[in-house]
Amino acid sequence: MFPTPIERRSVALQRLYKTALPIAMVMWLLPLIAVALTSIRSAGDITAGNYWGWPTSFNLIQNYSDIFTNTPLGSYMWNSVRVTVPTVIGALALSCMSGFALAVYKFKGDMLVFFMFVAGNFVPFQILMVPVRDLTLQMGLYNSVTGLALFHIAFQTGFCTLFMRNFIRSLPVELIEAARVEGVKEWRIFWFIILPLMRPAIAALAVLVFTFIWNDYFWATVLTQGAESQPVTAGLYSLNGQWVAAWHLVSAGSIVAALPPVAIFFLLQKHFIAGLTLGAVK
Amino acid sequence: MATINLDQLTKSYGPDEVLHHISGDINDSEFVVIVGPSGCGKSTLLRMIAGLETVTSGEISIGGKIVNEIEPADRDIAMVFQNYALYPHMSVRENMAYGLKIRKTPKDEITRRVNEAADILEIREYLDRKPRQLSGGQRQRVAMGRAIVRDPQVFLFDEPLSNLDAKLRVQMRLEIRKLQKRLGVTSIYVTHDQVEAMTLGDRLMVLNAGYVEQFDTPIELYERPASMFVAGFIGSPAMNFLTATGGDGLVILDNGTALPTRLSTSGPVIAGIRPEHLIAEPEGVLPVRVEMLEQLGANTLVHGVLDGSDIPIVASVTGIQSLPVNDVVRFTPGPDALHLFDANTERRLS
Repeated sequence: MFPTPIERRSVALQRLYKTALPIAMVMWLLPLIAVALTSIRSAGDITAGNYWGWPTSFNLIQNYSDIFTNTPLGSYMWNSVRVTVPTVIGALALSCMSGFALAVYKFKGDMLVFFMFVAGNFVPFQILMVPVRDLTLQMGLYNSVTGLALFHIAFQTGFCTLFMRNFIRSLPVELIEAARVEGVKEWRIFWFIILPLMRPAIAALAVLVFTFIWNDYFWATVLTQGAESQPVTAGLYSLNGQWVAAWHLVSAGSIVAALPPVAIFFLLQKHFIAGLTLGAVK
Repeated sequence: MATINLDQLTKSYGPDEVLHHISGDINDSEFVVIVGPSGCGKSTLLRMIAGLETVTSGEISIGGKIVNEIEPADRDIAMVFQNYALYPHMSVRENMAYGLKIRKTPKDEITRRVNEAADILEIREYLDRKPRQLSGGQRQRVAMGRAIVRDPQVFLFDEPLSNLDAKLRVQMRLEIRKLQKRLGVTSIYVTHDQVEAMTLGDRLMVLNAGYVEQFDTPIELYERPASMFVAGFIGSPAMNFLTATGGDGLVILDNGTALPTRLSTSGPVIAGIRPEHLIAEPEGVLPVRVEMLEQLGANTLVHGVLDGSDIPIVASVTGIQSLPVNDVVRFTPGPDALHLFDANTERRLS
């Protein structure tokens, strides 16, 4: 049997396993633990150098209400939502359609189009920094949520199209043919037959894109500045500047900022079900 | 109900021609089976008739109307796919009703036709289930139901039974036959299974490597195969082929045996004898060295070689027979059992 249950291994190995595993886990989680711990300390603790010791006071409620009342964290979070949600919807909508077209239809240059979508993923985005910033400036979209969202949609659609195209390719082609013979129009085939079967792919990509865009720091700092448009990743650091090294507030903000992707994952995970096409064929 | 006419139909993928000048007329209410080995182009031909593949040259007419450029939806056909292709997210009822809904059929009319089809196919109690909750045979019935509710001019079947187990296949075969006779809808059925083809078809179109070998009734294919390919494909176990030399009213096998025939031929010919037409006789002209027996109960297949050669011979004798392996048993072809083919063209000499 594979893997052999740990109870059937030698005693020495069992002891090693039982001590090594918790140590590895704690080391792995150490940065998170540190942030969580810092977020409930008082500012005094941090200036006194008490980073790892027992906190002198537990400021859980005070710190977490501070970041919403005394800092613009709320508006940073709202900016993140305004960038991320349209990006997820936009990139998924576009890639469902482009993926369907590339998977189902044969046309001149279809492979070329597909490879361009794929190749876009291989461009290191750092080299695009200056041209994209200039472009958004010229279009009047610099330092706006719209500009950031549009850029993300454009950049995410490439990967999403690759994913969607391959997913649709794996669906039984006879479903489409059966529908065609029955007289179902192409857009109805897409909307009523293919799209319902793409739910797992849409859910998986939604989580992926949401996490990626929510956590994006690079473009957030390149294309935006100031609390009226900056998302939370870029905004977090500015919490520090308003007071003197308010690391306890930055930590609390970080924890809050990390929650939405986790929430989205648990919200959508029930859609990650394989075998939606069960019963379609054979 | 409609006739289907195929006129010099050709299909090419790039420079490769896969179907060569296929012609044939299918009558109203007729059940035609296209049969052939894998890769002979039978599915491609069906898909061309359905409109899922383009026609390279030639013409397809349904009901006297050329349909080459007409979309599948407008050909008034219904197709049953090998893997059923049921919409997995819709219930059985929705699966069957969808095509009608698209055509804006009134709601009560849809309900009436779905229920009627469900009664015919005995799937009434599954109407609200999803395809994944059904067994293979039930899914097959739903796929058929989806075809018959539309009341089309033509049914197209693409190996619909090949995913079922053997027993169910025999049962469904009979049901399809009965259903087609009852509805009287012109049908084209593709299969690689010659037994299925023989039992279902009013006429069979035997395809080989993109050519029509013969297009005739099952009995005619069996009794007068037009080529060695048809002779070998129709009938199980396959026909024995022996090289021979033609003569006046007889053919001489390579081992010197002379077999009488009504034909006068000359030069090299191929003599074909079906295994079930070989009769064991002490005075038989064909000495067969037995190598193996297959006892099937109703009959016994004797596998051997023509004595003194390595030409394989299969004979089918009735009942359970125990013949000693390595012994020589003599067989005689029954009257009119000999089929002669030209050794070069492999066509029938008649």
